[in-house]
Amino acid sequence: MSTFIQTLFVGLRLGSIYALVALGYTMVYGIIRLINFAHGDFIMVGGYTMIFTVPAVLALGLPAWAAVIAAIAVCALVGMGTELIAYRPVRKKGTKMTALITAIAMSLLLENLAQAIPAIGPNPKVASQIFTAGGISFAGVTLEYTTLLTIVISAIVMVVLFQFTQRTKLGRAMRCVSEDKEAATLMGINVNHTILATFAIGSGLAAVAALMYMAQYPKIYTTMGSLLGLKAFVSAVLGGIGIIPGAVLGGIVIGLVESFTTSYVSSSMADAFVFLILIVVLVLKPAGILGKNVGEKV
Amino acid sequence: MKRKRLLSILLALSLAASLTACGGSGESSAPAVDGESAAPAESSGEPILIGTISPNTGNLAAYGTAVTTGAALAVEEINAAGGLLGRQLEIINADDQYDPTECLNAFNSLVSQGVGLIVGSVTSGCTSAITGAANEEEVCLITPTSTADSITTEDDFVFRSCYADSFQGAIAAAYAKQAGYDKVGMVYCAADTYSKGLYDSFSAACETYGVEVAAVESTASMDVQDYTNQFAAMVNAGVQFVYAPFYYDVIGPYLVTQARAAGYTGVIMGADGYDTTPDYVVDGADLTAFNNVYWTNHYDPADTSEKSVAFVSAYEAKYGNTPSAFAALAYDCVMMYKAAIEAAGSADPVEVRDTLAADGVVYDCITGTYSLDETGTPVKGASIIAFEAGTGADGKPAVVSKLLDVVTELPQA
Repeated sequence: MSTFIQTLFVGLRLGSIYALVALGYTMVYGIIRLINFAHGDFIMVGGYTMIFTVPAVLALGLPAWAAVIAAIAVCALVGMGTELIAYRPVRKKGTKMTALITAIAMSLLLENLAQAIPAIGPNPKVASQIFTAGGISFAGVTLEYTTLLTIVISAIVMVVLFQFTQRTKLGRAMRCVSEDKEAATLMGINVNHTILATFAIGSGLAAVAALMYMAQYPKIYTTMGSLLGLKAFVSAVLGGIGIIPGAVLGGIVIGLVESFTTSYVSSSMADAFVFLILIVVLVLKPAGILGKNVGEKV
Repeated sequence: MKRKRLLSILLALSLAASLTACGGSGESSAPAVDGESAAPAESSGEPILIGTISPNTGNLAAYGTAVTTGAALAVEEINAAGGLLGRQLEIINADDQYDPTECLNAFNSLVSQGVGLIVGSVTSGCTSAITGAANEEEVCLITPTSTADSITTEDDFVFRSCYADSFQGAIAAAYAKQAGYDKVGMVYCAADTYSKGLYDSFSAACETYGVEVAAVESTASMDVQDYTNQFAAMVNAGVQFVYAPFYYDVIGPYLVTQARAAGYTGVIMGADGYDTTPDYVVDGADLTAFNNVYWTNHYDPADTSEKSVAFVSAYEAKYGNTPSAFAALAYDCVMMYKAAIEAAGSADPVEVRDTLAADGVVYDCITGTYSLDETGTPVKGASIIAFEAGTGADGKPAVVSKLLDVVTELPQA
């Protein structure tokens, strides 16, 4: 029994991170139908920003997690910069395929640029303790507060994002752009500004994800975004890409599959199972768990 | 239109910049000489080229720094003493990024620059990607730290300055037996040459010493972040000694803390990959988790032999920190080349190889005084080192290392 609970908790811990990262993927995809492969690397940018700002924040007498504010600002700037420098020009001239390739190029560019910055360098960095350790115990197994907090934050972000796209003017504009860019322009929506705002929000989310990731897995390195981003992308697709609650559901499912495979099937096959599940779900339900084959997204 | 073009040029430039940033093959001012016909013009002032291949970027970059600085120190000392055969040594560093494909690229790049004597690579996974090429190209390879048994064979161009995994894993098993653990567990990565190699040798030695392996868990890759389930399985199996051959980037931030959180209180033992772990622990975390963590190492920085003291103080004076075993082993690699070049009276790779392969040569090095066995692996001892929560040099809490034991040869079964 305690093995089961332990496995469940580890699954939730991994899943809550995937969910938070997947929200950023799904948000951008929902608006411009672009799989932003650089999203995982925005998390790396957020992570390094916090590595450098945590000491300053502590010196000011604030708790370590307050460094996330700086990270949100930096990530939003990097996200908007990426859109302005790379995605927008390519989108105007190229096809969906060129946009996708640009996203992959952006991801590699960010990883290598980070490595070239002397203060970051090639060595992994280890984060400080962000939240005080501790948690709730069931049957001798501890569910850490950090995990609970990650799940709560994912849920809040999910609800806020959903309400934002349903009720606010900007949110409605995002949904219009996602459905029909030309028609949105005719309705007086500034498509470029709307997309830029989407990137700012999506990248800001990456900073929050970076905080929760660091709190549980305290190692930051320049290529950390690639596998993490891939698994979060799989989560978003599994839940139904472009659907906000789907990202959270997909993330938790992937985390649980990974953890239960480790404990009950074979510990060396966890990754293989994650991708196997993806294929099976997509064969049975091509639009993802919550996806409909037609209809509106976001 | 113009603005867009400018932007695309900028983007292309920054891409190019990033490429050079990661390609980094170091200070490559080498003359374009063909590697195999490296002119044996002994008296000419042309330098003897020594290449290094190490992970200078990527997750194991700390090893790259250690190896390049260790080798550079040795070369500097040799050059200061007048060089070899009247020629100066020149070092060319190449980066393998802890990636076997990049390692082969690095090797080819060195060979095309005329390098016939190479120190590298660091990890067994990378080195195993270039041993075949080294034999084909007739280029000498001394790896400082690749411990997998399969790396060196008889009649090849590959040697090392470290012991092999069959010895390293067996030392750990012997320690378990000697400390009274007759039931042990293992957590390793089946997909990694180093981790799997140590797993093999540890389990084989357990059989020899009559230690029962009660639980074995693996991970999908060396990039896994969570080891909680694996250690929960160890707790369920009731073992108090777990052999976990991983690298410092896993041990410091993830594995030890998670193992303790999963309720595992026993011994965690590893190998030379644990070196530099104290630099990778979470600031502000409970460091008592690192009590009861042991590992086998190639040398002890606190060794009081004259050679060792001279090396440590020269290294500290030049780089400002204590050399890790990786730096010492890389230094030893260059010193092995020095001895072989002097004995052969030539820097030709084939002649150097024949000298290294000759029986009975004794190398008096930092990590021990040893001769090579028939495969080119040193016959020497290992140190067993323990971590514990303590106080660092700056007065802050830190994980400190303590020499537990020095084992010169394997005990009888």
